Amino acid sequence: MDLSDRRDVETEVYQPAEDSQLLAETACERIGRTAADSSGGDGDADADPPLVLEVGTGSGYVAHRVDAETDARVIASDLNPHAVRQAREEGLETVRADLVSPFADGAFDAVLFNPPYLPTDPENEWDDWMERALSGGEDGRAVIDPFLANVGRVIAPDGVVYLLVSSLTGVDEVVERAGEEGFSAAAIADESFPFETLTVLELFD
Amino acid sequence: MKESLLDILRCPLDKHELELEDAEYGDDGEEVVGGDLVCTECGERYPVDDGIPNLLPPDMREETPA
Repeated sequence: MDLSDRRDVETEVYQPAEDSQLLAETACERIGRTAADSSGGDGDADADPPLVLEVGTGSGYVAHRVDAETDARVIASDLNPHAVRQAREEGLETVRADLVSPFADGAFDAVLFNPPYLPTDPENEWDDWMERALSGGEDGRAVIDPFLANVGRVIAPDGVVYLLVSSLTGVDEVVERAGEEGFSAAAIADESFPFETLTVLELFD
Repeated sequence: MKESLLDILRCPLDKHELELEDAEYGDDGEEVVGGDLVCTECGERYPVDDGIPNLLPPDMREETPA
């Protein structure tokens, strides 16, 4: 990658930050544990590895860590053509998609999402790929709400969702919305910064 | 993309299965680098661009922010 390519990527694809790291660590720990449980020691080694989808993968950082640190098969998707190209260069199985719309019913053991969550004044929207990666509309939930409305279709009966949420967006509001879509929610990790607290929610039926 | 990905990909419009047509394979003979994924129900075609299936619904496919 030469310098101008790198500059394009940095302005068009969200690069990993504290939120990405928290989601990656939490997901690896949870998915790794599930995989160890299901392989059980009693020779259940033929069991298929868990199938994991990361929605809005951006640079592919979270998907790559789960791919490297667990035995899951990881699919990385994004709306952004620059992001899917970068994720594929990381060696990930990649799909250009709008949230979960092109995936089969009940396909995934886990779905991960670090959504665009910053509440944004519509007057100040800047309409490029980086804005799409960051802005959650006026209430910060413009992408989270349709995700919650649709993700239940693609998770397996015992499947889970790992969703990163910021205090800027409102964790209680997201939990309530998830409840309306039939999910129970548990906060399984959090980390505080000067201007926000990040929380990873585990959602399950 | 690997051909096995077809097992979990569906038409984003009607959720029916997709068939691979006009496939082009990479140097290893396994990776699908080009072709179309065609809905077995509505016939909508989704391109595989440089090995990445573009499963955006048709009305979002051309959308490119400045």
